[in-house]
Amino acid sequence: MSFDDWLRTDRLPHIWCSGCSNGTILNCTLAAVDAEGWDPDRTVFVSGIGCSSRAPGYIATDSLHTTHGRALAFATGVKLADPSLNVVVFTGDGDLAAIGGNHFIHACRRNIDLTVVCMNNLIYGMTGGQGSPTTPLGALSTTSPYGSSEPAFDLVALAVAAGANHVARWTAYHVREVQKAIQTGLRTPGLSFIEVRAGCPTNYGRKNRLREVTDMAEHFRTRSMVKAKFDRLVAEGRPIPPDTIVVGEFVRRALPAMGVAP
Amino acid sequence: MKLVIDENRCKGCNLCTQVCPYRIFRPGRRPNRKGVIVPELDRPERCTNCRLQGLYGRTLCGICQLTCPDQAIGWVRERPYEPLTMEVEY
Ligand SMILES: Cc1ncc(C[n+]2csc(CCOP(=O)(O)OP(=O)(O)O)c2C)c(N)n1
Ligand code: SF4
Ligand code: SF4
Ligand code: SF4
Ligand SMILES: [Mg+2]
Repeated sequence: MSFDDWLRTDRLPHIWCSGCSNGTILNCTLAAVDAEGWDPDRTVFVSGIGCSSRAPGYIATDSLHTTHGRALAFATGVKLADPSLNVVVFTGDGDLAAIGGNHFIHACRRNIDLTVVCMNNLIYGMTGGQGSPTTPLGALSTTSPYGSSEPAFDLVALAVAAGANHVARWTAYHVREVQKAIQTGLRTPGLSFIEVRAGCPTNYGRKNRLREVTDMAEHFRTRSMVKAKFDRLVAEGRPIPPDTIVVGEFVRRALPAMGVAP
Repeated sequence: MKLVIDENRCKGCNLCTQVCPYRIFRPGRRPNRKGVIVPELDRPERCTNCRLQGLYGRTLCGICQLTCPDQAIGWVRERPYEPLTMEVEY
């Protein structure tokens, strides 16, 4: 594997905490662009603000580390200015679904030819563990010390409803599947959204009985259910554990797209 | 090929001990110069990639490398493991 060739090795080791999934998701993304044979000189990585959004800083291509929530707005600009560029967006759950929520649904609606990788750690990692729109009901965070009392956003359902051409969800435990989903995204014209459930041992795991890095990975392994099985259980009216993470590809279609290379 | 952990990058999260199908990585015992307890390698010559990368001309398995959040796992060319390649591969 030569995703190493895409890294700015002079910037390593990176600043992410020990066991933070962001590093794993960075590997999977670089393995995907490498396997697709993309030209580093024609590839741009764009991000907003957050721990997750630091990813482009470790990649040897051109990149934009923009303002909080605006990664998709900047990426739209890059892609429309030069549709021949390959544009990949890294974003966090807070960046994408809270402050950047409107950019998210409208980028999906416009179906701009981007690949969006959301490192969803269910928390605002960078600022110290405040609850985000994806913090699960009952989960502890610094802003929900007695357990979150709000329902969480289903980012995948949001992207599907808003019109993205390719939507998938995996976890940081499923490294090959994440890589393959991103590869599919890179090949699909229109917006491709890949939600990757990520472990933040420092600000999420510590508060939610997943203290060890390996506990979170085990949680991902045991709680994940592939979409086909989930659909079958629903059809049969069988019970599904409430903390199930439904993984797999949710949509792949060919709605009209914007910014596709001619 | 020889499996190596870059001690300068590893932060000791032990994810590699969890994902390798051969359990080649074992939690380490002593902190290194940086205070990180880097995993130990248990007979790394068993690794699929160490044995077969040369033969197939591409990375095999590689799950530990893709998982390692700190880009610390890799392979270096090394002579001594090559005779073993022939023996393990029956
Ligand atoms: C306009 C603006 N508002 C608030 C902040 C503070 N801030 C920095 S990162 C962040 C949340 C990041 O959460 P997320 O996108 O989930 O990224 P993570 O750190 O979890 O990867 C916030 C609120 C900011 N930098 N800019
Ligand atoms: S605070 Fe959480 S998301 Fe940020 S680097 Fe640490 S583990 Fe990763
Ligand atoms: S996964 Fe990487 S960083 Fe974690 S202990 Fe293993 S080699 Fe070190
Ligand atoms: S490549 Fe596979 S077999 Fe080899 S050490 Fe890594 S996980 Fe184990
Ligand atoms: Mg987050």
